[in-house]
Amino acid sequence: MRAKLLRQPWVYSFGAALAVWLATIAYTHGQGAGAILTAALSFATFTIIVGLGQMMVITTGPGNVDLSIPATITLSGAVAMKVMDEDTGRMAIGIVAALGAATLVGIFNYGLIRILRIPPIIATLSSSFLVLSAAISYGRGIRIKPPEPLAQFAEAQVLGIPIMAIAVLALSVAMAVVLSRTVYGRSVLAVGQNSRAAWLAGLNVGRTRFLTYVLSAFLAGVCGILLSGFSRGAALNMGEEFLLASIATVVIGGTSVAGGRANVPGIWGAALFMYLLVTMLNTFGASAGIRLILTGLMIIGVIVAAGGEEQR
Amino acid sequence: MLKKTLACTIAIAALMAAGPAMADTKDKKIALSNNYAGNSWRQAMLKSWDKVTKQAVADGVVAAADPFTTSENQVTEQAAQIQNLILQGYNAIVVNAASPDALNGVIKQACDAGIVVVSFDGIVTEPCAWRIAVDFEKMGASEVEYLAKKMPEGGNLLEIRGLAGVFVDDAISKGINEEVKKNPQFKIVGSVHGDWAQEVAQKAVAGILPSLPEIKAVVTQGGDGYGAAQAFAAAGRPTPTIIMGNRQDELQWWKEQKDKNGYETMSVSIAPGVSTLAFWVAQQILDGKDVPKDLTVPFLRIDQDTLEQNLATTEKGGVANVEYSQADAQKVIAGK
Repeated sequence: MRAKLLRQPWVYSFGAALAVWLATIAYTHGQGAGAILTAALSFATFTIIVGLGQMMVITTGPGNVDLSIPATITLSGAVAMKVMDEDTGRMAIGIVAALGAATLVGIFNYGLIRILRIPPIIATLSSSFLVLSAAISYGRGIRIKPPEPLAQFAEAQVLGIPIMAIAVLALSVAMAVVLSRTVYGRSVLAVGQNSRAAWLAGLNVGRTRFLTYVLSAFLAGVCGILLSGFSRGAALNMGEEFLLASIATVVIGGTSVAGGRANVPGIWGAALFMYLLVTMLNTFGASAGIRLILTGLMIIGVIVAAGGEEQR
Repeated sequence: MLKKTLACTIAIAALMAAGPAMADTKDKKIALSNNYAGNSWRQAMLKSWDKVTKQAVADGVVAAADPFTTSENQVTEQAAQIQNLILQGYNAIVVNAASPDALNGVIKQACDAGIVVVSFDGIVTEPCAWRIAVDFEKMGASEVEYLAKKMPEGGNLLEIRGLAGVFVDDAISKGINEEVKKNPQFKIVGSVHGDWAQEVAQKAVAGILPSLPEIKAVVTQGGDGYGAAQAFAAAGRPTPTIIMGNRQDELQWWKEQKDKNGYETMSVSIAPGVSTLAFWVAQQILDGKDVPKDLTVPFLRIDQDTLEQNLATTEKGGVANVEYSQADAQKVIAGK
């Protein structure tokens, strides 16, 4: 039983998150232990949303990655805030418009990859320039406040647990079910393991990849709306930090970079770990240089620990 | 090199002394080489440039004043861009540089081609170029000076820094820390990097806040005050005096608190319109004026009594701004 648990790659990211949290509260003598966890859950939620999308994309096989996530977050936030224009009555139409724009980005990404035969890493990178430019010319650096209900939803807590974290937990469970129980989810895994074999087995490889890129963009859109509610406004650089964060959480969480193997719980562990790590180093008063070095070393450590088993 | 510059300066001075030799700039072309446009400050900077230079072109002061922005904030990209501008025959290039020294080679090429180079905000160290710099250390120090006056009893401070590795971040932080040393009643109990972005600042402050004692004030670098306020509110802690950075969302929040409970703070940053000052300085140099190589631009400070007036003139999502006129530039050149 214990050996079986240790073989689960996600155990390591949760273990690392727990260790970092314990080190932080040991330093503060227990002060703020709960509040740190609440903050970690709030902020990790955003990384988890885009991490789930990135996980699906990476799982569809080597070379598949979505670099347009930050730009899509920014576009969705800008569209949502501008369409809503602080008016509660326009919330629904704002959400639809933002998610619609994000979905279009996903369709466009796949179009570049499939029709123009551009490698995904280049296709999504170049589309991110186009998308960010669209967001800039549409929003012009605008920070419009979200309608009050949206902001309250993004900030609401029950017993110190953010409502949003509960909603994203439900989303994650749904994602795990999709992966293991639906034709689409199984197709993603099969295509990632060997796309030719999957094709020969009669799976629709093109449709599977298409849905995956659209899903990733859609989730980035969801993240953009919630983030602009949470931080009370959209900004042109709001998505920037999610490029590396989305990929790092997927890899630290135990999803195979070579594709074909996904890990949903690992995303949670990794997102919490990444946030708590920065919090710990800030609390210790480490300078920026030391903080970056330690962050790099600890990420390497967790990946090596989690991956050691399969490298025989 | 220095000798040549000196000789040039003397020659210009001699020319000036010889009589009111007013070179005409109506045939001159000025270009703006800008390395980044992805935040509200840079957007306002480009807008100001557009507004002021279009008028100048319409008035026949200069023939052209075209802005060029690189997409990736990369030194190599901006170097290639400046090389193109040299070939296109601009008489002056106004630069907001991606690096203080990595562009020096191409800047030197421009100077050798007889082009006037004026750098601002992101300045270059190449001696043949002019520099319009901001005294960032003084800006940081002014925050602590304000706090020392407002709360003579002192207290704990939280410092929000900018983007690690950028010289502006080091300079502002140095100014803050040195002034804190002079005022030992203050103590910086925590320091986080907010990258001049509200979301990043909010996240970093929310993380460190639970472990901190009571905070009396937050010293900032601009673009992070609103995020800090959100983090304090979310943690259910009393709002400290947060120094703001002239962003509209920060001023708007300040105004709401002021109306609600008489909240007091101050706000300081550089006006994005500094691009227009650089434009007029370039025009003055082309006009044959003797301009010192190093100029200092004043920063824009907003206080309790000037808040409403500044908020009214700042557009939603923008930054409090001043656009400079030819007369302003002449004043800065004269060192007033």
